[in-house]
Formats: sequence, C-alpha cells, structure tokens
Amino acid sequence: MNLSRITVWSRAATLGKGVRLAAGVRRTGEEELATHLQPRRLIVSSARSLAYAKDLFLGKLNKNEVFPYPEISHEELEEINQFVPPVEKFFREDVNSKKIDEEAVIPQATLTGLKALGLFGIQVPEEYGGLGLSNTMYARLGEILSLDAAIAVTLSAHQAIGLKGILMAGTEQQKAKYLPRLASGEHMAAFCLTEPGSGSDAASIQTRATLTEDGKHFVLNGSKIWISNGGWADIMTVFARTEVLDADGQKKDKITAFIVERAFGGVSSGKPEDKLGIRGSNTCEVTFEDTKVPVENVIGEVGGGFKIAMNILNSGRFSMGSACAGMIKKLIEMAAEYAGTRKQFNKKLTEFGMVQEKFAIMAQNAFVMESMAYLTAGMMDRPGLPDCSVEAAMVKVFSSEGAWVCVSEALQVLGGVGYTKNYPFERFLRDCRILQIFEGTNEILRMYIALTGMQYAGKILTGKIKEMKRGSVGVVLEMLGKKVHGSLRRNQDLGLTGQDGLVHPSLTESAKMLEENAVLFGSTVESLLYRYGKTIVEEQLVLKRVADTLINIYAMTAVLSRSSRSISIGLRNHDHEVLLANNFCKEAYFKNNYWLVQLQKGSPENNDANIKKIAQAVLEKRAYICSHPLDRTY
Amino acid sequence: PRWLHCGSAFCKNKSDSEELQKIVENEPQKNDRSLVTHDDLFERTSKDSKTKASFNKVVEVFSKKDIRRRGHVEFIYAALKKMPEFGVERDIAVYNKLLDVFPKDVFVPQNFIQKMFNHYPRQQECGVQLLEQMENYGIMPNVETKVLLVQIFGKKSHPMRKYQRIMYWFPKFRNANPFPVPRELPKDPVDLAHFSLTRIANDLDATVTVYQHPLTDITETGEEISQPHIVGIQSPEQRALLAKHNPNRPVFVEGPFPLWLRKTCVHYYLLRAEPVPPEEKLEEELDPELVGPEQSLFYPQLLSLDLNRDLGDDDSFDIDEVEEGPVYAMCMTGGGDQATLAHWICRLQETNPILGRVPTFFRLEAGSGELQTAAGVQYNPGQNPQAGPEMEHITEQEAARSQGMKQ
Repeated sequence: MNLSRITVWSRAATLGKGVRLAAGVRRTGEEELATHLQPRRLIVSSARSLAYAKDLFLGKLNKNEVFPYPEISHEELEEINQFVPPVEKFFREDVNSKKIDEEAVIPQATLTGLKALGLFGIQVPEEYGGLGLSNTMYARLGEILSLDAAIAVTLSAHQAIGLKGILMAGTEQQKAKYLPRLASGEHMAAFCLTEPGSGSDAASIQTRATLTEDGKHFVLNGSKIWISNGGWADIMTVFARTEVLDADGQKKDKITAFIVERAFGGVSSGKPEDKLGIRGSNTCEVTFEDTKVPVENVIGEVGGGFKIAMNILNSGRFSMGSACAGMIKKLIEMAAEYAGTRKQFNKKLTEFGMVQEKFAIMAQNAFVMESMAYLTAGMMDRPGLPDCSVEAAMVKVFSSEGAWVCVSEALQVLGGVGYTKNYPFERFLRDCRILQIFEGTNEILRMYIALTGMQYAGKILTGKIKEMKRGSVGVVLEMLGKKVHGSLRRNQDLGLTGQDGLVHPSLTESAKMLEENAVLFGSTVESLLYRYGKTIVEEQLVLKRVADTLINIYAMTAVLSRSSRSISIGLRNHDHEVLLANNFCKEAYFKNNYWLVQLQKGSPENNDANIKKIAQAVLEKRAYICSHPLDRTY
Repeated sequence: PRWLHCGSAFCKNKSDSEELQKIVENEPQKNDRSLVTHDDLFERTSKDSKTKASFNKVVEVFSKKDIRRRGHVEFIYAALKKMPEFGVERDIAVYNKLLDVFPKDVFVPQNFIQKMFNHYPRQQECGVQLLEQMENYGIMPNVETKVLLVQIFGKKSHPMRKYQRIMYWFPKFRNANPFPVPRELPKDPVDLAHFSLTRIANDLDATVTVYQHPLTDITETGEEISQPHIVGIQSPEQRALLAKHNPNRPVFVEGPFPLWLRKTCVHYYLLRAEPVPPEEKLEEELDPELVGPEQSLFYPQLLSLDLNRDLGDDDSFDIDEVEEGPVYAMCMTGGGDQATLAHWICRLQETNPILGRVPTFFRLEAGSGELQTAAGVQYNPGQNPQAGPEMEHITEQEAARSQGMKQ
C-alpha cells in the first residue's frame, strides 16, 4: 500500500508530458472521461476508494487519503513558478479593477492581455492549444486571478464550466473543432443551465430540444437566465429537455447537453444585469428561438446531460478555496499597511488587541482555505476518476463564508476610510458576496454534503440499525459496549499520533481532537439514521449541523496534514503554520462538540422547534409581527 | 358624617336646570318607591334627544340637587340600565362621571372591624355592578376610575378588587383574537365584501377582483336597471388546481353561506368540486436522477434507504383526515340569483379558461343573499337566517360557456 502511494505522489516524475499510459486497466467510460481531463498525469495505480469525507460518516478516518499532503513534481513546480510572475505582473500593472468595477466592462486590451497569457485555456490540453495545467496548478493561478473578481468570474465561467463539458465528455471531433479557438480566447464560452422557473430545481427545466424529422438537427427553444458571459459567448453549453425512449419503450423527458454556437441563429441575449459586485462580468438572459443544433453537437449521450452538468459543477468548485485565499492574502497586506502607519491615542493600530485579532482571523482563514483547496486539488489530480464532489463542495462553503468574514474584518480595520471608494475594500466586499450564491448556494451545498454522506453511511448501516430496532440483544450490547468504551477512553486512537502516527508530534493535541470529533461524528450520524431514517431529508436544520461539523473536520484534517508536511520538510515559517493549525483545531473542536451535542438532542432541546415556530409565525403574515415596544393596551 | 342609606323617594331637590328642576321636584309627589322614578327621570329629560350630553345633564342634575346624594345607588342602577339607549355604553368618561355620583370618603372603612366585614354592601355591590357593565362592553377602566374607586371605597374594597381583576385580564385578552373584526365595518358593500372574502380566504396570495360594480340606472324607456355587485377572490393556487380539474367532472356553484361579522351577516358563494376519486389521482412521478441521492446540482430530495423515522422522533399526531373537494373560488354578490352568479363564472373564465369546458351546476339555496343586519334579523342558530324552508333547487345548466353566451 505504502509503495503504491509513493508511486502516486511522485507522479509523473519519470514520464514525459502527454504520454498516455493506460495499461492494465479496463477503461470504463468514466475512467476514459478522467483521462481526457488529466491528459498529463496518467499513472495508473490500484483502484482506490476515494472517499475521505464519506467515510467520516462512518466514524472512519481514511488517513491514507489525506496524509501526506499532496505535492507536485519539481517540473510542475518549476513550470508554475515560471508562469506565475508574468500573470502577477499583468494583474498588478495592466488591470485596473477600479475602472472595471465603475464602468462595468472589462476593457478589450485587458482581455487581449489575458488571452496572450493563455489564461483562457488553463486546463485545455496542450494539443488543443491550451496550457494543459492540472487542477492543482489551476488552483494556484486562481489565487492571482481572484485579485480582480470580474475577470476571475469571466474566466471561470468560460473554462471552469463553459467549456468543461466539451473537455470532459466531448468527442474527439467536438474537441478538435471547438477547443483550439476557445483556448486561445478567440471564442468565449458560457454555461446555460439556470432558467426562470428552475432556480434551484433542475427538474423544472423548460427549455426543449426537439429532433427534426430528418433526424439531423435538434430545434432548441427556451430561455436561460443569469448566464455569465451570456452576452459575449460564442459557444454555449446548453441543457435542454429532450424526449428519450426509456428501457420500457416509453417516452420520457431527459436532459441533454448541447454545444450551441451563436452562429446557429436564433440566439439572443438580453440586457446585462446590473449587479452588486463582479460588475465587470457579463450576466444576462439568453433566449433560444428555433435554434437548429446539429446532432453531432450533443455532448455525451442524448438524455445524459444531467450527469454532465453535475460533473462540470462538481469539478469547478474546489478552486474557490485558493481564489479566496489569494484575495485574503492581498487584503492582509493592504490592511496591515494601514494599521502599521495609522496612529490613535499615540499607539499604532497594530498594538491594539482587537485589531490584532482581526489579522489573526484573516491569516487563519487564509491558511485553512489554502490547505483545504490544495488538498482537494491534489486528490482530484490523482489518477482514476476520484469523486471529490463532497470535498469540493466543502471547500466552496468554507471559503466563501470565510472570505466574507475576512473582507469585512479587513474593512473594519480601516474603519470609515474602508467604507469609501478611495480604498478597494468596499469593492472586495461587494464582489465576494456572490461567492456564497453562485455555483450552488451554500445552503444547497450543505444539504448535498450532508445527504450524500448520509446516503453512503445509511447504505452500510441499514442492516445494523434494523437489527437494533428489532431489539437484537447482541447488536445492542455491542453498541453499548462501544459507547461505554468510548466514554471511558476519552482519547480515541485512530492512528494519527503515536509511534507510527502520520501527524507531527507538535500537533498531537490537535490530532487527538480531530480523532475524537471524527469518532463522535460517526456515532452521531448513526444515531441520526436510527432516529430519522430516510426522512432526514426533511430535517434541514439537523443536516446543516452535520454539514458544518463535517466541513470543520475536513478543515482540521487539511491543516494537520499540511503543517505536518511543512514541519517534516522544514518549510520556512513552519512554526507559524503549527500555531495556526493548533489554534484552528481548538476552535473547530469546540464548535464541533457543540453541534454534535445539539445533534444528539431532540428538536425541543436544541432550539430547532423554536426556530421553526418563529419562522412560521413570521412567514404566515409575511411580516415582523411583534407589537411596537411603544404600543400600549391601556 | 354618616347616615343610613334611605330610599330615593324621599329626596328633596334643588336644581339649577329649570326643566329638570321641575321634573325632579315633581318626583316625590309621585309617591312611587320603585326604581322607575329614576328611569322616568331619564325618559322625561330626553324625550326628543337621547345623547351623551343629555345623559350627562341628568347625572349632573342629580349630583347637584342634594349634597348628600340621597338615592344614588338606585340612580346609578337606573343610569346603567339606560346607557345603551343613550348610546354611551362604550364611553369611559360617562362611567367615570357615574362613579363620581357616589359620595366620597363615606364608604371607606376606618378600622379593622369595618375592613373585616362587608362595609356598606349595597354601595360596594353597586360599584361592582358598574364595573361589570364596563367589562361586558369591553371598556377598560382608566386612572380616573381608579382614583375615584379609592376615594369612594378605599384601597381594599370589592370594587377595587374588581378593578384590579379587570386591569389584569383585559390587556391580556385584548389581542387574543388573531382575526380581529373592526368595530366599524365598511359601509360600502364592495368594501365589505372585500374585507369578508380576504377574511375567509386568509391567503396573502389571493387576489380580490371586483367583477361588477353596483349600479342603478334608469334607461331611456324608464326601466330601472340595477346591477348587483360581484366581488370574487381566487388565489394562484386555486387557479392551478382548477386548471388541473378533470373537464368531465362538473363544478358546483354553491351558496349562500352565512358569515357573521359582529352583528352583521353577509353571504358568500363557492365554486367547488367533488373530491377527486382515488382512482383518478395522478401521482406525479419524480425522475430519480433529478431528485435522488448523489444529486449534486441541487441537493438530493430523497434518499434510497430502507429506514423509517424512529417512533421516538415521530412528533406527528394521528389525525383522521376527511377529504373534501377543492374550493376553486369564492364570491360575494348583491344578488344571489343564478344570472348574477353565472355572470361571475363567466368573468372567472377570463383567467380560468378551463371553465369553458367544464359543466357548471348551480346549487343555490333559496334566500335573498342580501346583506342583513342584526336590526333586521336576529340571528338564531336554530333557525335558518334565510326565510323559508331549505329549498335546494338544483338547476342543471349546460356548460358555463353557453351560460356566458346567453348573457
């Protein structure tokens, strides 16, 4: 096992670029999909069950998945180190974010510069004229791109979702036809899924594609809203309903993905939305009216569009972690500059405890996000088709919310000055609000995180729980024994620490906390499944706590893994990393314990019942219903 | 000064009001020892106008005619009885004025023995009675009432206790009704219908539409045409339900049903259908790919687990649900005849085109359906507010479309 891990981690060291090695593996459709995605890292090792987050639901810490922290090869590191400085320089010198925000448009010159740098095809394979970078390196570039949110959104709408469909599931012909021009930036891509009636409900997609009589074209009708790049895009990935014969020979509506060129005709885009932030990006409605799409332009199979849409979105989310971290690092610099020079009461701002706390929060958040993002990116870069959708969703939720807190804290350091347009803080604040909304709102992602795990754990635990419900003495005793054992020996040992521990000794305490949380989380999930069964879908407040706890556990894992590696290989300032890791783990540990205790209670005790009652009363009247405090009855 | 209370019949009066003076002077001569004397006092003083002013006048005259206020208990009882006639039964100022008739300090117990026993029981009872009448009319005592009660009966008297109880409970009950009806109902029948319909529907999404404004006009030929108002309410949900209605099954216009708003009774009509028989119910099938587990575009809406909710966490009640047919719309109208209601259906068709294909039956009970007030009809639960026996004449009609054409 260990040996195979080493081969994976030192991936591609001996392999030239673009060499395809797929020997000894039955290439199923999915794996093929993966190889298209990662054309450069094609080491095939034993099939691994990549399910770190899912296994946590069983109280298992799949430590081999996350230790040691993923690394990239020297070649890759060198390459990225050569690549980053020119991009940074471009963003520093040639991008005027203030102007982009004010005029709500990205100047042509800036776009040309981005194209010249190859940033329109970061993940497109080199054979199609892209940079062919891995997820990890894409995340690294994301750190810089995020310095201008409008550009970051435009670029990610183009390549993280817009052309990803072609990249992931397109045929060779489709790739050859579209990717080169998309990678060069000659054409821009967009991803058209959301509809007026289907904000968060894919089942209600109304856009319809009907096969023409000659069977050569689909006729597309319908409209899509909130399409990033909608006004500029030449190539669009559009999802529409098509009629498909199912196994029983009955007609059914299924969703199919199409590549639609604007040149096909009948495509019109509405007025760009006037937004709070990311104002430079283009968001508008796109309407298709009798647009004729050749059958060759179906991505994947007819009726298989839903899976494609899911895979596209799942694979795009992880990069938000590094992007947010990049933004916060910049914010720390700017706010620290101010705090270091500004004097109040004959003291520098940096000497005040409350100001110091803000910087600690920012640094810690950036550290945790970075750790999570690169851990996830590393997992995704592994061979095979690692399903990291839960991990990626966790990164997105954690980093989007952390970013909001950090921007707000940075702005607070400057006080009133930060509130003005003289400083970019207010722009960052507006821009980063979208992070919690797009690519799946954080609420939906929390549900996804929790329910996916519940489904996974439920499948495995059903038999055991049924035995317990039936009153099987053996199982009950076993459970009780486990509980007693757990409560007696407070310190759970999952093998992170000690003789063969994977965590560095200076992080032992934090690792113990992680282990304790993980075990308690597993038993809590079991009791939740026992209590709610499949009706847990309705218990959103419960699921929210489950998701939050899991996110924290994953974040703890990421920081422990990262800082263990840093100490071990002696990276600069690794003692600071240990400090941040220990601090974060302690905080997360207390929060987790609180949530887990609440999860073990019934709704009247943990306030859920009250929350629901309050909301019901308010929503029934659609207003705040309390009497005014100045009202009197006599 | 203390005296034993004596009957009102012996009071001798002086008064500055001339007319009243006479009346009051005449009073003893009638030699009537009953309470009627005071009733008469009110009757005679206000033959032409029964207003607050004349009521106050009587009270003033009584207070001034005798420093000792002889017969005040009877006077207060009589006054309480007369208050609704004068329309002052909801006026706190008048109650305070009436309370002011009691002589002050006289009935306040001075020592513990007096405190122990029921001191001046008749007077205290009268005071309690006055407060009780206030209570019945929902009038909240104010600070003045309290001061008067303390002056008259002292701090621990029965009327004071009554006052305290009222002050404890009244504010608590004041807003107990989640659906308060205003004391003054709108006068305009259209506004009243608007109010009543929103009250019944209790749905913030529902929209009230005035299908026809009331109109009385005289044509050139001298015929009088009167058009009753038709006000309807329908929510988007009802519209959606109606759109899904099986066109082979009829819908019914039923009514009138009474709705009481304080002392006013209004009537409304329903457009409803029989409950859908179980064999016709269509279960909407959900695509497991779109809502099932592993769904990440949006979250999974169902899990494929063979585990149900544990009994310990099942907080639902066992309720026997009686299924009723859907109600698609409601209306109120000035004329309960079939033509008017057909006109309503006809107008409803504009937003609910399906009504054109659905047979509509009118099941109307006899009755004017007009706005009736308590003055006209005293509501008696045992008796049908509409005159006449229950006549259900079911008129079978062609489809409502043909109805509309006839109009």
